[in-house]
Amino acid sequence: MSESFEPRIVAFLCNWCSYAGADNAGIARMQSPANILPIRVMCSGRVAPEMILRAFRSGADGVLVLGCHIGDCHYISGNHRTAKRVPLVRNLLGYTGINPARLRLDWVSSAEAPKFAKVTQEFVETVRSLGPIAEEMGG
Amino acid sequence: MIEDVRAHVAEKLKELDGVVALRQTAVGTAPYLFREGDDLSQLVLEPRYPLAPIISLLQKRYPEAHFGVVGRGCDARALVEMAKREQVDADRLYLLGVACTAEEAEECHCADPAPDTELWPRAEMIGSPVEGGAPNPIVAEYEDMSLEERRTFWRQQFLKCIKCYGCRDICPECFCESCALEDPLWVERGVLAPSFPTFHLIRAMHMASRCIACRQCELVCPAHIPLTVLYDLIRRDVGDLLGYVPGADIAAPPPLSLTLEESPVQIELE
Repeated sequence: MSESFEPRIVAFLCNWCSYAGADNAGIARMQSPANILPIRVMCSGRVAPEMILRAFRSGADGVLVLGCHIGDCHYISGNHRTAKRVPLVRNLLGYTGINPARLRLDWVSSAEAPKFAKVTQEFVETVRSLGPIAEEMGG
Repeated sequence: MIEDVRAHVAEKLKELDGVVALRQTAVGTAPYLFREGDDLSQLVLEPRYPLAPIISLLQKRYPEAHFGVVGRGCDARALVEMAKREQVDADRLYLLGVACTAEEAEECHCADPAPDTELWPRAEMIGSPVEGGAPNPIVAEYEDMSLEERRTFWRQQFLKCIKCYGCRDICPECFCESCALEDPLWVERGVLAPSFPTFHLIRAMHMASRCIACRQCELVCPAHIPLTVLYDLIRRDVGDLLGYVPGADIAAPPPLSLTLEESPVQIELE
């Protein structure tokens, strides 16, 4: 792993909470890493396992899924599905030799700009320490 | 055993519109709808073949008909999962359950080698159920394998894939009209072996809360990829995380489409 490895992170942000949280972090001039490629989705429940897996296939070193807190979902229970689905995808990654820490699910509300900055910074550091995904993808 | 099955089928044919079972003829063995008067000496139990999708097709084609099926434990579990996803009408199906032998249970690593006839609205049992076979030893050893060992193992296995879609085509739980594995958005066309992780992990993820461990995907795979190791692991996780065993309870709705109130889960976030 080279010293200058900068991880590329795909972040799926829900329109109602986490995207607004990211926006507020920007407005408040909080430092959040430039490694994050945000993709706005209407709900974290929209994030199909296919989307996560394709992000990894396309070279993402990490995938972050952020949604509304449980109970605050704009669609009442969209994020309930995410809460069940993402842990299963994480396990599957682990079973086939991709470090499950490369996929993270968290809840960030629109008022939690500092949490957005914290989660993204932490995650970038985690993934940085894991190294490029290419090494785990194999032939 | 087989004579018993034939006698029960003959009896049931008097009241049912037909019974689905395997038929052996000079050209081979295939699923067949036996009607009254058919030659039941052609009815066989081997080789195992999933009959649930045949029932689904027949019931959709003949919405009034009452059919029967000669089914093993795995057939019954497949029917349970299909019934709750509205692919099979349980009320129009009579289950003639057949118990597998101890050798068969061992060969399939099957925990449940006989249909649960209590579960199905109308059913009977032919033969006596045996103890389940031991679980696949690879699944038990999995905890001790490092990420790197797992990676090496699966990369070698997936590299053999010729993308014949045999695993999907044989699967009784794969009944979607449009399949994610054929969508170029998720699986690139014309790439062999299919890119990791999309093809195999998408299928594995779709098996979560569906796979009833019939082992057919592994049996048909021309590349001998031990797919059921992966699916057994995801079955275990769905059991641990969501308390759901596919095929075990016809009244239990599929958990991944329920809310956390309806089907609670202990979520561990970092």
